[in-house]
Amino acid sequence: MPPSIHPVDLITALRQKHLTPAIVFLTSRRACDEAMESFDHADIVLPPVRQEAIDAVLQQVIAQYPSVADHPLIPTVRRIGVAAHHAGHLPSWKIAVEELMRQGCLDAVFATTTLAAGVDFPARTVVITQSSIRKARDFTDLTIGEVQQIAGRAGRRGKDQVGFAVIAPSPYIDLSVLTKGLTGHPEPIESQFTITYPMVLNLLKAHPLEQIQSILAKSFAQFQLNRRAESLERKLDALHVQMEPFGPRICTDWITQWQTFDQARRQRPQRHQPHHESPELSARFHFMTPGRVVGLARGRGIVLRQYRSKGQRHPMISVLRPNGTVTECPAAAVVEIFDRVFDCEETSSFPWCSAASFDELCYQLTELPPRLPILPILVSQESVPLPDTVVQSLGDFPCPTCPSRPACQKDFAIAHRLRQEQQRYVKSIQALRASLWHRFQERVDVLQKFGYLTSSAQLTADGEWARLIRIDHSLLITELIRAEAFSGIEPAILTGILSSIAHDDDRPGSFPRISPGLSSLLGQVRKLAESLSPYEDPPLLRADVAAIAERWVADPQLTWIGLCRLTTMAEGDLYRLLARTLEFLSQIHALHATHPGLADTASKAIALIRRGVLEELP
Amino acid sequence: MTTDELEQLLAQQPVSLLHRLARGRVHRHFRAGKRRLIELLLQHSSQNLAGLESDLQTLIAERQALPQRPRTPARRKEEAAPTPPKRQHPPTTGGEPDTGGPAVSLASWLEGIGVPPPQPFVPDPWQVEALAALAEGDVVVSVPTGSGKTYVAIEAARRAMEDNRTVIYTSPLKALSNTKFTEFSRLFGPEKVGILTGDRQENGQAPLLIMTTEILRNLLYDAASGEIDVRLDTLGLVILDESQYLADPERGVVWEETIIFCPSQARLLLLSASIGNPQDIADWLSSIRTTTCRLIRHNKRTVPLRAGYLHPNGKLVPLFKTASIPYGHPNHIHPEAKRLFMQYEEETLPSGRPRR
Repeated sequence: MPPSIHPVDLITALRQKHLTPAIVFLTSRRACDEAMESFDHADIVLPPVRQEAIDAVLQQVIAQYPSVADHPLIPTVRRIGVAAHHAGHLPSWKIAVEELMRQGCLDAVFATTTLAAGVDFPARTVVITQSSIRKARDFTDLTIGEVQQIAGRAGRRGKDQVGFAVIAPSPYIDLSVLTKGLTGHPEPIESQFTITYPMVLNLLKAHPLEQIQSILAKSFAQFQLNRRAESLERKLDALHVQMEPFGPRICTDWITQWQTFDQARRQRPQRHQPHHESPELSARFHFMTPGRVVGLARGRGIVLRQYRSKGQRHPMISVLRPNGTVTECPAAAVVEIFDRVFDCEETSSFPWCSAASFDELCYQLTELPPRLPILPILVSQESVPLPDTVVQSLGDFPCPTCPSRPACQKDFAIAHRLRQEQQRYVKSIQALRASLWHRFQERVDVLQKFGYLTSSAQLTADGEWARLIRIDHSLLITELIRAEAFSGIEPAILTGILSSIAHDDDRPGSFPRISPGLSSLLGQVRKLAESLSPYEDPPLLRADVAAIAERWVADPQLTWIGLCRLTTMAEGDLYRLLARTLEFLSQIHALHATHPGLADTASKAIALIRRGVLEELP
Repeated sequence: MTTDELEQLLAQQPVSLLHRLARGRVHRHFRAGKRRLIELLLQHSSQNLAGLESDLQTLIAERQALPQRPRTPARRKEEAAPTPPKRQHPPTTGGEPDTGGPAVSLASWLEGIGVPPPQPFVPDPWQVEALAALAEGDVVVSVPTGSGKTYVAIEAARRAMEDNRTVIYTSPLKALSNTKFTEFSRLFGPEKVGILTGDRQENGQAPLLIMTTEILRNLLYDAASGEIDVRLDTLGLVILDESQYLADPERGVVWEETIIFCPSQARLLLLSASIGNPQDIADWLSSIRTTTCRLIRHNKRTVPLRAGYLHPNGKLVPLFKTASIPYGHPNHIHPEAKRLFMQYEEETLPSGRPRR
């Protein structure tokens, strides 16, 4: 059986059951393109009337957006009445497909599940082929909200009496995710509030530092944190009630009192444990490693192994004696530890080292000089120093004679646990209430360090203009401007740098060569981005992406088709890259009051980018 | 049920029922006698006895539901009546086992497909309610996709503009902004509608402005720091479409900033797809804004939805036992869909991999 239904069969089946028009969500752009290719030799052709209708709509769109005219998919769209709609296409193509769908000319549109939110046209049927989507490099199951968003495209108001969500399995589909998604209640949404550098600067421009906390308190994040804090507070109240029987007794803080007493009581006997190793022994034992020369009561030997034996109180060692015998003796029997170690290849069975090293050691042992330096070993006086409160004699505690001693002893375990829980709740409530403010202060510290804010959290001259850069990686961009990295550069190079900052997609591609000027500047930008990485996540800064944007601006003769030929990037990705770069450039342009030269370069770059497809499209 | 028990049960059934059960399972089943038929059935379904059993139970239940009816030739014709359309299926579809009883049949699942007769547009009660509530305060709308949120946006914008108030409409995606710009220009006239996105600015002084949420946030920051934008004084309504983006890991913060800094005289209209906790959002708005916030929510789709399962061989079956989606009961899967999916998993999963 094929792992998933063939697109031609799918369309045939849908047509036969009158389930068209349909939106078919596939795993990837490539799957969509391959689905379109599979129609090349299909004979499920539309009747001429419908082909003409498609033509008429396409002509209307082409009149507005000429770039649609030579789209390679048009013949298939006309013949079969199916189209692909994904992020790899130009917006104008997507507009054309949406228009065709709206007019009811198409039977099916292949789209990617990843961009299901961008599919803003309904159909009679939605075909779902997967239960997980790629999010930040790994696949995660669709949430209930996402499944419903996808299925929600089925059923056009006023055009359908019923909508259909059809599951067509592909490998690794998990049916239960989809059935749960279709029948379930959508997940609650969680605030994703983060504090960005431009946010800090803009807030401090408009409000004094004292007011900020109350502004942050208005966020949905704080609202949700407060909700959690409130539920913890309710738990805390319940704990207070549970704690009531454990209130003050003869001493007010009897829990702590009992805890110290109890600890002291437990530690006391340990200090005189008869079977406990002496500190000398435990200090010396570490040095009795295989190969070490030790002095025994009679003669010397070389340690072969350490072990602990059940029958013996002390740890044991196996020692090689000068006559070639191996004896076992307690570690305490070692009189001296010499500062001499031989190589010893250990084995797990008698004689505890390899035959070669056994012979070698026997020889070495006989060759030892009569006097050997002794290894100085520091012996700590007391293994665990006891806290002062414990060292005091037990007689200092009132507990042993206290009348409430039995009650304390009995209740201590419960009361102590409750009190610990109480303290934990109090801490987490404090953290929930103040976390946003702390995060804000962290950002303020960074901005003060870089000189955008004064020590009294006022905007400096740099802060005044830096607050106008309200895009991702704003700190990197403002630092670049302050380092004068952009002074006197060509519009093309500025575009290249900004596009590599703006681009956040790691799809591979092969791209034209980068110019030396851009390359060296990009190197500087990388260095700076790396040094800023503790404060801001560095962008990808891909050289190939920078080069493609640079080429578009530097060469005004270059056509859109020509640009697309230079790279394997999809048209839609190229368009999005340039559109995003335009956004960044227009932010730089906003600095015309303080950086007239740079703003001028930016506006030149904007004018140069806006041509061909980028001018035609909204 | 063990194989022996199943065999016994099969032997107790009349042969006609066995033939119905064999349809689509056993090739040329009409040639076989009862004993051979049982043998073939068990042999064919040896991989999927559960599927056979559930189909058998359905058939038995169906038989028991009509015990008193005499089995006359007329009755047979009646039974045969729904079959002719099935014959039109492509040969790949195979036989269609009858799945009456508790599980819905494909025919009734497909019933009602088609275009409804044209009706004059009447706004739904929730749409009217939302518009009325907007006269008093902020409104959060959380309804399923495709319910007609845009109608509320358009009507609200129209009313605000009639009061000479500026309206700002924001959407998360530039493409959506562009679509809405075209749509609104058609409705209100191009001179009344403007658009501001990161790379496009047209008719910026129009009473109805469409922008991405980021642009509105920037406008509000500029206004807060004293660079007063005239439009914000007359701002009467801010419509935030697709407000479920509030939970977007990267961009959600922009929605929060926009809502926090939205001028108090302007009404907020949040349009969102179905989310789990719209009441939280309404409560939040009520707690930070001067007016109280009304929540308009419903989970009923305007166009009812049905779910199906399409096997790679082209066979279509209902996904759930009921024609409509059994909300809250993800396990009410149609036995035939379950059988086909298990078969699919067995054939596509690498051998040795345990099935979930």
